[in-house]
Amino acid sequence: MKISGSYTVPAPRERAYQLLQDPGILAKCMPGTDQLHKLAEDEYDMKMKVVIASIGGQFGGKVRLEDQHPPESFKLIVEGSGKIGFLKGEGLLNLAANGDLTEVSFDGEVQVGGTIASVGQRLLDTTAKLIIKKFFQKLSEVANN
Amino acid sequence: MIAENFEYSAPTKLDDALRQLSNEDTKVLAGGMSLIPLMKLRLAAPGQLVDIGRIADLNFIHEEGGTLRIGATTTHYQVENSPLVRSRCPLLAEAASHIGDLQVRNMGTIGGSIAHADPAADYPASLLALEARVALVTAKSKREIPIADFFVDTFTTALEPGEIVHAVVVPVEDQSTGTSYQKVLQPASGFAIVGVAARIRKSGGKIAMARVGVTGLSGKPFRATQVEKALEGAAGSPSEIQKAAALVSDGVDANSDLHASADYRKHLARVYTMRALAIALSRTA
Amino acid sequence: MATTITKSDTLVGKRIRRREDPRLITGTATYVDDIQMPGMHHAVIVRSPHGAARIKRINIKKAQELPGVAAVFIGKDTEKVGPVPCGASLPGLRVPHHHILAIDRVYFVGHPVAVVVATDRYIARDAADLVEVDWEPLPTVTDPEKALAPGAAAVHPEWPDNTAFTYHQEGGDVDKAFAQADVVVKQRITSQRLIPSAMETRGVVAEWHTGDRALTLHSSTQIPHLLRTILAQMLGLEENRLRVVTPEVGGGFGSKLNVYAEEALMGFVAMKIGKPIKWIESRRENFTCTIQGRGHVDYYEVAAKRDGTILGIKLKLIQDLGAYHQLLTPAIPTLSVLMMPGIYNCQNIRADIVGVFTNAVPTDAYRGAGRPEATHGIERMVDILAAELKMDPADIRFKNFVSNDAFPYATATGLTYDSGNYAAPLVKAMDMVSYKKLRQEQAQARTDGRFLGIGISTYGEICALGPSPATPAGGWESATVKIEPSGKVTVMTGASPHGQGEETTFAQIAADELGVGIDDVLVVHGDTAIVQYGIGTFGSRATAVGGAAMYYAIQELKEKIKKYGAMLLESDNVSFANGACVDNKTGKSVPLAQIAAASYRAMKLPPNTEPGLVATYFWEPPNFTFPFGAHIVVTEVDRETGAIALKRYVAVDDCGKIINPLIVDGQVHGGVVQGLGQALWEQAVYDDTGQLITGEFMDYALPKASNIPWLETGHTETPSPVNPLGVKGVGEAGTIGCSPAVVNSVVDALSPLGVRHIDMPMTPEKIWNLVQAGGKA
Repeated sequence: MKISGSYTVPAPRERAYQLLQDPGILAKCMPGTDQLHKLAEDEYDMKMKVVIASIGGQFGGKVRLEDQHPPESFKLIVEGSGKIGFLKGEGLLNLAANGDLTEVSFDGEVQVGGTIASVGQRLLDTTAKLIIKKFFQKLSEVANN
Repeated sequence: MIAENFEYSAPTKLDDALRQLSNEDTKVLAGGMSLIPLMKLRLAAPGQLVDIGRIADLNFIHEEGGTLRIGATTTHYQVENSPLVRSRCPLLAEAASHIGDLQVRNMGTIGGSIAHADPAADYPASLLALEARVALVTAKSKREIPIADFFVDTFTTALEPGEIVHAVVVPVEDQSTGTSYQKVLQPASGFAIVGVAARIRKSGGKIAMARVGVTGLSGKPFRATQVEKALEGAAGSPSEIQKAAALVSDGVDANSDLHASADYRKHLARVYTMRALAIALSRTA
Repeated sequence: MATTITKSDTLVGKRIRRREDPRLITGTATYVDDIQMPGMHHAVIVRSPHGAARIKRINIKKAQELPGVAAVFIGKDTEKVGPVPCGASLPGLRVPHHHILAIDRVYFVGHPVAVVVATDRYIARDAADLVEVDWEPLPTVTDPEKALAPGAAAVHPEWPDNTAFTYHQEGGDVDKAFAQADVVVKQRITSQRLIPSAMETRGVVAEWHTGDRALTLHSSTQIPHLLRTILAQMLGLEENRLRVVTPEVGGGFGSKLNVYAEEALMGFVAMKIGKPIKWIESRRENFTCTIQGRGHVDYYEVAAKRDGTILGIKLKLIQDLGAYHQLLTPAIPTLSVLMMPGIYNCQNIRADIVGVFTNAVPTDAYRGAGRPEATHGIERMVDILAAELKMDPADIRFKNFVSNDAFPYATATGLTYDSGNYAAPLVKAMDMVSYKKLRQEQAQARTDGRFLGIGISTYGEICALGPSPATPAGGWESATVKIEPSGKVTVMTGASPHGQGEETTFAQIAADELGVGIDDVLVVHGDTAIVQYGIGTFGSRATAVGGAAMYYAIQELKEKIKKYGAMLLESDNVSFANGACVDNKTGKSVPLAQIAAASYRAMKLPPNTEPGLVATYFWEPPNFTFPFGAHIVVTEVDRETGAIALKRYVAVDDCGKIINPLIVDGQVHGGVVQGLGQALWEQAVYDDTGQLITGEFMDYALPKASNIPWLETGHTETPSPVNPLGVKGVGEAGTIGCSPAVVNSVVDALSPLGVRHIDMPMTPEKIWNLVQAGGKA
């Protein structure tokens, strides 16, 4: 599944970039995630509890940051698996300055497997969008504080 | 296809049910047409189910002060076939008749459907076009909110923890109003690829009121206010309708899945808005 | 010998309601899941969520520790159980070793890796979630054409080209035919993977009788005896100590014409734990682990003269096999090749099949098994040719049909068509739709800017599978007919009907032959401990082969009856008719019940006659049978949305002699509905990583009653000379005739835009895109 879009983060580009590299901030913004434990440089262990309406599931996995070109772009790689399935997402995030704001655009591909892939086709697109939206909403809150 | 273990209760009194909803691991069972399959697939695993299906006080349709109040556990079949709904709010009866299949309509309920907030469910389009209100209740409080505020996002509603839908409140339709719900069916699930509900009232040869609700097109159902605005004051000629309907998908981040791409969905929304409007118009007095 | 039926009111030919239906529709039939046994345990199978992966480690400890769990078995435990067999043989066929549980590597989503056994199915299901498998995902390929491309992921590392076999067949002189042609049309035509979707999923109950060292295995299968023979080998059991019971089967459509890993696995578990074990396939498993149908990519070329005469046909057939061979997997596309010329007189053919491994569940027989694909191909090509030559699609068919005086007709593919009158169903179908008038309406609709389409398909197919030399496990069928001491008749058929209505049709035939009432006849099947060895029900064979076997058994019985009748009448000149023996001289008669009683009482036996009235007959058919027919479909395409409306559906089928028109219509209806499913809605979609993304009925669009137009059926009756009943078979005909008629209709509707071909399923979005692009895909 291809995923792309863009959000405006209320922070200058340098700061927006820093926020997006900070495991504490990422953990705060990823829905259902409490914290990220460092496994290696720019690689973190992740536990995520996704609850959307009645659908809920625990995922365990990794978050990795790669190809960093501060403050312009980096690659975000997320891998997770749980009882209801597994996912692997890879996306390129581009940050463009817009005065005091930053336009974050992303373009990536998510592979989903297991039960959610097989029976959740109708829901994948809308729920993925919802999770991303929640992430950026939270990021905006953090940036505003 | 076996769910994880869960506790189950089926209180017969609303108060008892509300008291049991304190735990965040509790889900309300109100027909189960979405929840039970999710549980059997183990995509949902609530620790406790409170089945509100046996609470007689939640199953009603009555007329009250220019509105119809429809209890949360009223089945789609009941809405579809209620003489009261058919005469006072025909749009809602028409929408109910499009839901799933007969078995689903016999089990599924209006409260369960809107609380689940499936972005492709049939009811929301009509409820938005009707500017319905939703009566919500907790163990301690009651409130009534506009339906547009109820649907927050994909599968996300304004329901607070411990709160359930008590009733859906729709206006008794003016007899001169013409309404229609038109839907493109997803051939496997029966959900709407796109569903459009239209209400039109004419006055002095002009469209005095137009309401358009859309489901299936995006992450949450919405009212196509730009279409409504374009119609109000118009005579309702086919070209005016076509022009207005063409606005329905503007600026919408459309859903895309196996069954319809975003572009095709947007196109279908335009066509079905046109069709729903034309039929609604033909039904105006 | 000649049969004389003087009774005026025969049962054969009557619309008699199915005798099996009351128990089916009142919930009193017994399916596998209805079987309960004391001490019965329940199994849930742990399966791969990956399209391909190495199993690094399996941890079953947590599952074993869950209270109520009796055992957990993994691939190493079952290594010695024989592999899941491939029953088809082709020269050079690569056959991967198919363990019943994967040991170190999985090849498709759903591949079984462990089985959890518990005291109830809920505990077993919970415990399955506790089995921890450490996977190392591997590259996958799911598209058969991509699998053939250089550098594709290898499904089986030992065969990096993913090619399981190639197969070449040629008849006549194709190169000459193409050299002489005025016109050659070419088209790539696909036939998508389909999910058979029997209403009852698979299920097994196995019980090990320790004292007798015997296993009883109940399975929802189409082939109880073949299953017994093969399972005995897989499990290392003596065949006569394995009893296979087939209770009620809720649909198979070919998906239960197989021997599955789970059947052997449950036998293994029962023997290990010494307790009865039940496994019921979930619908999710049925989607990913039961065989799927079709999966063709075909490249056709047809050469013709300007007048429409077809000279030659070339076909390159790419068959998506999936990760393994199930029982008949590689044989299915060879059936397509056999039927390549359809019912047209074309003696020059060339076919090349490539069987391709992919990371998906195996394909195998699904209603029609190779013939729908072949019919779809040739019927689409004939329409494309007609369009190219600006001929009416009916005219080009009349021009090319094998003529009535050409039977028996030898095809370029090595078959001999038994009998036919190919123009008759088309004439009848055209009459039923008022074809000429319809074309005028179409012309008017086109001037009004509407897309109205008329689609014709004429088909021929292979039924009554089949003569033993052409059928992997033997193609005969058996019957035992017993007249009980009371005169009641018991028929035991080796065919194992599972919804086709043979309990009714066989009783009609037997009752007519023996002059008894239909209620005096009981038809028994599906238990290897009761019924003599048989082959099973598939390939539209049960009545044409099994019914014929019963007919011959009855003829033998009649000889015995007459001997006893002669003895009782003290006559040397008796005949048997209307359920009684009559002395031809005196007119005195003795009824069958009295004869039967005397035969068992055996106070006095006629010379050289054994006591009792029982006869068993194993009948080997001399040929296949070849039914045919014509379907005409009227559709209208919504220009704005691409939606297809089915306006009329006319099916005229010739399945030889009709035993029960009601059942024949029912078979046609069901077949057509499945054909409509393929043409319009159904599609097993795999993503590149091997995930089946149409894994539930929420996304896999099975036809619903509300989608189906009124089906107008008609019949012509051209008896088959192959069997004494004159029947041909009708179980798959509807499916075979349907899909090309629907596609031809929609292509015809859009032909003003220059549309020439549309692949299935013809979704509204696909059609809308075509309309938007002005016909250019």
